[in-house]
Amino acid sequence: MTKTPRLLFTLVAGMLAAGTATAQDVIRIGAPLPMTGPLSPEAVKQQRGYDLWAELANKAGGVKVGGKRMKVEIVYVDYQSNTPRAVQAAEKLITQDKVNFLFSPFGSGAAKAASSVSEKYQVPTIAATASSAQVYDQGYKYLFGTFTPNDTLTEPLSDMVRKQAAGVQRVAILARNDLFPLAIAQEMEKSAKKRGMNVVYFEKYAIGTLDHASALSQIKSQAPHWIFATGYTNDLILMRKQMGDLKIEAHVVTMIAAPAYQEWIDGTGKLAENVTSAAWWHPAVRYKGKDVFGTTENYVKLYQAKYKAIPDYAEASASAAGAIFQLAIEKAGTIDRQMVRDAIASLNEMTFWGPVKFGPTGQINSLEPPVFQIQKGKPLVLHPQAIRQGALQLGIK
Amino acid sequence: MLTFQILANGLVLGGLYACIASGFSLVWGVLNVINILHGSFIVLGGYLAFYAHAELGVHPFLSILIAAPLFYAAGYALQGALINRMIAAPVLLTLSLTFGLDLMLQNGMLLAFTADFRKLILDPPLGVLALGPVVIPVDRLAAMLLALALTGLLYLLLSRSRIGRAVVAVRMDREAAALMGVSVKRINAVTFGLGAMMAGASGPLLATIYPISPLAGTVYLGKAFVICVLGGLGSVPGAMVGGIALGIVESFGALWFGPEHATTLSFLLLIVVLLVRPTGLLGRKGYE
Repeated sequence: MTKTPRLLFTLVAGMLAAGTATAQDVIRIGAPLPMTGPLSPEAVKQQRGYDLWAELANKAGGVKVGGKRMKVEIVYVDYQSNTPRAVQAAEKLITQDKVNFLFSPFGSGAAKAASSVSEKYQVPTIAATASSAQVYDQGYKYLFGTFTPNDTLTEPLSDMVRKQAAGVQRVAILARNDLFPLAIAQEMEKSAKKRGMNVVYFEKYAIGTLDHASALSQIKSQAPHWIFATGYTNDLILMRKQMGDLKIEAHVVTMIAAPAYQEWIDGTGKLAENVTSAAWWHPAVRYKGKDVFGTTENYVKLYQAKYKAIPDYAEASASAAGAIFQLAIEKAGTIDRQMVRDAIASLNEMTFWGPVKFGPTGQINSLEPPVFQIQKGKPLVLHPQAIRQGALQLGIK
Repeated sequence: MLTFQILANGLVLGGLYACIASGFSLVWGVLNVINILHGSFIVLGGYLAFYAHAELGVHPFLSILIAAPLFYAAGYALQGALINRMIAAPVLLTLSLTFGLDLMLQNGMLLAFTADFRKLILDPPLGVLALGPVVIPVDRLAAMLLALALTGLLYLLLSRSRIGRAVVAVRMDREAAALMGVSVKRINAVTFGLGAMMAGASGPLLATIYPISPLAGTVYLGKAFVICVLGGLGSVPGAMVGGIALGIVESFGALWFGPEHATTLSFLLLIVVLLVRPTGLLGRKGYE
């Protein structure tokens, strides 16, 4: 080797070493998201939540790891709304991009599929949008989730209706034939039957349905006291409008998950009045957390300042997933995967998202999801008691 | 009584479907171009009506008058500048071209309007028409009548006017039409313009009924496909008949077999029609 190439080699090696040194001062978290394709609106929400957390953590100098502070970097990969690609994306993030930790892809299905990859490489992973118990009952040790099981949404709601509207006997359920909307409808059927109510109608509608008139005409002919409909924002804007078109009346109308979004309230106008819903989180809840965001109010304020919009539970959950990693890393004092995993598993802290403690399967079990109702165009929390803002109002026209 | 309500639901739904499909059918039938952009044109028309209503208080039915010429011009220009260059290529290539343009348009709309769902709410609402126990929403009825009117106008244009006869001539035999002195390129652009106009005009109508979002066009496009094949390619009354047939079949399908099977039934119907009458209900042989 002559002198010049040797010098070059030393230079390059030196630069590489410097590069590695900087890379080690950064905590890299992989985030496979459906940035294109039908789920892309959801990816936007997730990304907003993650970015808000990373920005805040970095503004404070980074995450405290033992005696020093490390910056956070989120590495995004688009999986095109295609679940098999989500699994590949997770593997690529771990093996090629060398991320330290992982956020799950969107929803229960993709989170479950990708969880086997995290388990194989023993990478602590937090799922921000997976509620189905089947995601967590695989015996995996590295997967954690910020959503409680689906029945924690329907049980308090049914209790409330049973107590405050004894006349409610006949229940009609119309569900989008999709993983989460169908699962929550099935939980509702169980919750209603458990309380002696009569489920007079239970049907599913296909994804992409452009008309609910037939199903709603049938529901009307059954004269139910409680109509429980599931789907996403576009489905439920259309459904609520068609209920109005067909002059359907009921004591209680519950819709999950759309009323948690401001766009649903804006999109239905006066028809939103008195519709009830439940979600894992709501900007109206009030918690005083030990995490980087502190209180719920502060979280909502920061979010509004950055995005000029009100955060919904999916966005807040993504931020919470980041904040939980931060709490666990600071508690462990290291970014060693095994130790961070143990720190998450034993975490017991209050956050802006609510109390955070994970059950033996890795799914959060400390959270009490709020039930709320749209009254005068604003969502009011009806349950839990500690953060209650109003009483259940009956009657929907 | 439920049967009458379902029939009324099906009829007005069919009117909406006819609105969605007529322009798509014309372009496919005459130009042999499967215009994947069609659904997104409807959505863009919807946004136009939404913002005209929210910012300027323009009634969505008036927005149709603004949307129609705008979309006609855009369609004419697009055909003249891009699609005419590959009009002689196999149908798959023009499909890829419009597919690519659609991706660009969808992502452009995502950037411009964000992914949020929007809904045009009329205050006071148009209300419902009650015929005994059967209720019909006025907005859907209006959409159906407008679809009928637009379809009728298009039909008159095609059958009575000089330019319309030229469009039909190009549809029947491109070479012969060219030999008779018809400027095929210009007629192509006129046809594509008319198709875009129909899409743009349905946008404001649908905006009063459906939530608007940048990617909503895909669902409209799926329906347009079925309706065109059912009714017969290139036949304007065919789109009307196909739309209403689909609306009624879906409504009764949902009643008899459950709402999740409504679409299954419509695709079954499509297969049956393709087996029995491959040219569609009102299509004629030799046009394709």
